[in-house]
Amino acid sequence: MTPTQAVPNAPIIHNYNFNQKPPVPSRPFTDPSRLAPEDAFYAHSPPRTRPQPSESYSELDGDAVTTSIPSLRGSASSRRRRGRDRHRSGSRRGKKAWQKLLWVKQKDYPDNYTDASFLSRLQWNRGVRPYDFWPLVADSTVIVQHISSVAIFVCSFVGIYQQRVSPVSVVSWGSASTVLGWVLWDFWVGQAGVLRSGPEPTNVLNKDQGEFINGSAVSSSTSANVLTPSSQSSDLRPIGLGLSLPPVTSSTQKGHRHSHSQASMSSGPSVPSPTLSHNPSHSLLNAAHPATTLYNSPRTHQRLATVKSAILIYIALHGLSPILKSLTESTTPDSIWAMSCWLMGINIFFFDYSGGLGGVRFPASLSTNAALMASTVLASRLPSTTHVFSLTLFSIEVFGLFPVFRRHLRHMSWRGHILLTLALMIGAGTGLGLTISGKPFWGGGWKRAIAGAVIWAMGSIVGMGGCSWWLIGLQRYKNVVRGPWDPARPVIRGGGWD
Amino acid sequence: MPYNIAMVSDFFFPQPGGVESHIYQLSTKLIDRGHKVVIITHAYEGRTGIRYLTNGLKVYHVPFLVIYRESTFPTVFSFFPIFRNIILREQVEIVHGHASLSSMCHEAILHARTMGLRTVFTDHSLFGFADAGSILTNKLLKFTLSDVDHVIGVSHTCKENTVLRASLDPLMVSVIPNAVVAENFEPLYTTKPSSSTSSTRSTPHPLRGTLTSYDAGRPSLRLGPTDIITIVVISRLFYNKGTDLLIAAIPRILASDPNVRFIIAGSGPKAIDLEQMLERRVLQDKVELLGPVRHEEVRDIMVRGHIYLHPSLTEAFGTVIVEAASCGLYVVCTQVGGIPEVLPQRMTEFAKPEEDDIVRATQEAIKKLRANSIRTEGFHEQVKKYYSWTDVAERTERVYDGITGAISEEEFYGEVNVTASWSGARGRTGVQSFALIDRLKRYYGCGIWAGKLFCMCVIIDYLIFQMLELFWPRESIDICRNWPKKVEMEQEQEQEDETELELGGMSGKGFGRRLRTQ
Repeated sequence: MTPTQAVPNAPIIHNYNFNQKPPVPSRPFTDPSRLAPEDAFYAHSPPRTRPQPSESYSELDGDAVTTSIPSLRGSASSRRRRGRDRHRSGSRRGKKAWQKLLWVKQKDYPDNYTDASFLSRLQWNRGVRPYDFWPLVADSTVIVQHISSVAIFVCSFVGIYQQRVSPVSVVSWGSASTVLGWVLWDFWVGQAGVLRSGPEPTNVLNKDQGEFINGSAVSSSTSANVLTPSSQSSDLRPIGLGLSLPPVTSSTQKGHRHSHSQASMSSGPSVPSPTLSHNPSHSLLNAAHPATTLYNSPRTHQRLATVKSAILIYIALHGLSPILKSLTESTTPDSIWAMSCWLMGINIFFFDYSGGLGGVRFPASLSTNAALMASTVLASRLPSTTHVFSLTLFSIEVFGLFPVFRRHLRHMSWRGHILLTLALMIGAGTGLGLTISGKPFWGGGWKRAIAGAVIWAMGSIVGMGGCSWWLIGLQRYKNVVRGPWDPARPVIRGGGWD
Repeated sequence: MPYNIAMVSDFFFPQPGGVESHIYQLSTKLIDRGHKVVIITHAYEGRTGIRYLTNGLKVYHVPFLVIYRESTFPTVFSFFPIFRNIILREQVEIVHGHASLSSMCHEAILHARTMGLRTVFTDHSLFGFADAGSILTNKLLKFTLSDVDHVIGVSHTCKENTVLRASLDPLMVSVIPNAVVAENFEPLYTTKPSSSTSSTRSTPHPLRGTLTSYDAGRPSLRLGPTDIITIVVISRLFYNKGTDLLIAAIPRILASDPNVRFIIAGSGPKAIDLEQMLERRVLQDKVELLGPVRHEEVRDIMVRGHIYLHPSLTEAFGTVIVEAASCGLYVVCTQVGGIPEVLPQRMTEFAKPEEDDIVRATQEAIKKLRANSIRTEGFHEQVKKYYSWTDVAERTERVYDGITGAISEEEFYGEVNVTASWSGARGRTGVQSFALIDRLKRYYGCGIWAGKLFCMCVIIDYLIFQMLELFWPRESIDICRNWPKKVEMEQEQEQEDETELELGGMSGKGFGRRLRTQ
């Protein structure tokens, strides 16, 4: 209905038949917990747009208001979602039209008069967007990855604790993987650096070295933006849960753009990748090459700094291990198990699944700290300093560094992300199978291991699908009511501060 | 028909605020109309026991644990014994609760219904539906308002909000706005020869000692293109009050016109941001910060300006803009909540809650004032006509009439078919049943779990009531003597509205003086 069609309705309102039952109140307060499914899926149908300012002004326009009110009310009733007539004060022919104003004394109408325009500015489920199944499942892989890595860590601890696995072998494998991951990560960052230095080499040259080390994460995230030029303009559709925060949205979408990322994976740092084609100027690319060679020196410096800090951590951990071992030694095992369970729970629930490449936010750091504390607490149950050292180092690798790698992998290669998810699922399942069976791998434990892997993987996949389906099913209960009573969101240009 | 009314709220003087003065002014006017009013609130620092205010308004300060911003701890039942005692002692017939954040008011309504009294609730604020605090408050409100006789909202937006929050029948909610004591907000120059009130008002205030040279009171009525225009802002400096918008807009407004000055009064967490902005922009000579001010001083600050800027983000009614208009200021305000209903277009310049639009609206207002296209001199008389507490009291009285059945249901609710009530369990005026089973039916609909929980609360409340009746019988509770009435004055008031208004102003001031001496 358009407002023009609704204008003839105004007299009908006046001839309201008062034998008619008082109208059932509109949906939101008959049963606020129920919505029809189509309401959640067709976000554009129920909500009304905000009234235009001009309209509101005319509504407020002092003495001239009586003339404009009938048409206004007509439009108001036309905007009514489930056009129910609310006017119930009988025939009021000859009376002045009711105005939604407090300063006008409207003696014709009682104080509890409810006009047809009542709740006309209610906006209902506005801007609610439906979820799609597959992106939701895709996004849930992040959760599965994290839970699996926690499971792997727990299995490793149990193995070490029961002296079935040598702690040195665990930490060696872990460290080897970490180094491998770091090399890969460094390669990606280098790639990002090339892309970044291409258009504007002078910036890189002028950069202070220390500043650049800090800025590496930032540069990689900006590179993700550069890689997907289309994502900024056209591809603004939200993917899946949309868990990511606004500054990283465009880079999150990167995870689903296989072709781009694979192209960039295959290309070396010196060869401009096909995705650079949006920068056609060859002279600029040529200019980038000398920049790259110069640029390598801060990169090398950065690598050296990383290695240095790694060695420092290694040595410090060696020194700290005896202290960590005796730190909670006097606590009973019961408390330790309970506490570490809680801490692991905190780690899983507060982990930053949004996948942004930006800085660490509070819940994320809470999660990492909880995990490290859990490992510290668990370490006191181990027999020797070597054990403690190994477990702590392993926990730093699993909870501190591994998430960073996973995040980058998800941005760089979607296929790699899926493969890693599968590997982690199978690893966790195998580990759990072996731990529960209590037999050595070659002494019959392999059957349990395979069973565990299969069950864990199947459980994860079913869980991912089931939870996504469940979440989509729950959307019908979504009931977002907005109206003029909500605090307005101030729009500030931010120019006032410089 | 005079009623015995108990106003219950956590918020009352000595705490300053809109709800507090609403309760006080309404009670005073109801007493003037021949009713008996007592106020029940919790004990404040240095204010316990029973107090009498002007006009024989009796205030009970019940000892209670205060948890957050003068709200009491919601214990559901602990208030009942003393509440019953007060109700019986004062022979109260109608319990009128105020403010949805006051748990005392919610408890009082619940107990009052258990005791078989009529209840009214006035909502003074707007709540969203999204954040955890609002959800909790809304659930509590739904519990209380499941069994209430009538609800009053201070604006139409407030009514819509309350109807949604508590799932009420829209006809059960009346809109009765706030008001101002216009005599306390007179402009500096009135068209009429100044009355006695304004002469006492214009005595030099200690605050005026701090005036800078550019402001010697309110300058001439006609403004030239180079005259100084002063913009006044009086609000608590909170996020909800739009202080961020203010901070962003001030430098731009000042940059666009060199002959504009600001006076900002109020305190709050955003004050530090404001001061930082002033220091960074070196605007201290153009913006005067007054810090926290008392409500009595507001008028003296307002009359120093030409424009009142109100950048609030949410507002149920916005009494302060009415006060500003009453002082003869042109009002620039954001178009949020109930604000668009409050003042006519010719007194206000509306803006969207956006930095650019506030700057635009303010510049527009400055331009209009410089062009002398707005006659602010008449604002005071007009506002006085629009809003008066006497009117509020009359309309509230009609609500009391309606719920006690003194006026017929058809008259109260309009010509609606009586038998087709809004829902089976909910009757209307005079037929809102007190039977426990009917009340339980009303509460049961609150939610799958909440409904059962609420029903349990109501049953326990009923049992407590029966036990109180048994162990603390009505006969042993003394009946209070009423405050002696000045009958002849009342009759005078009924004859002359003017006199009544004068008296109201006087009593308001007497109260203020009393506050100061405390």
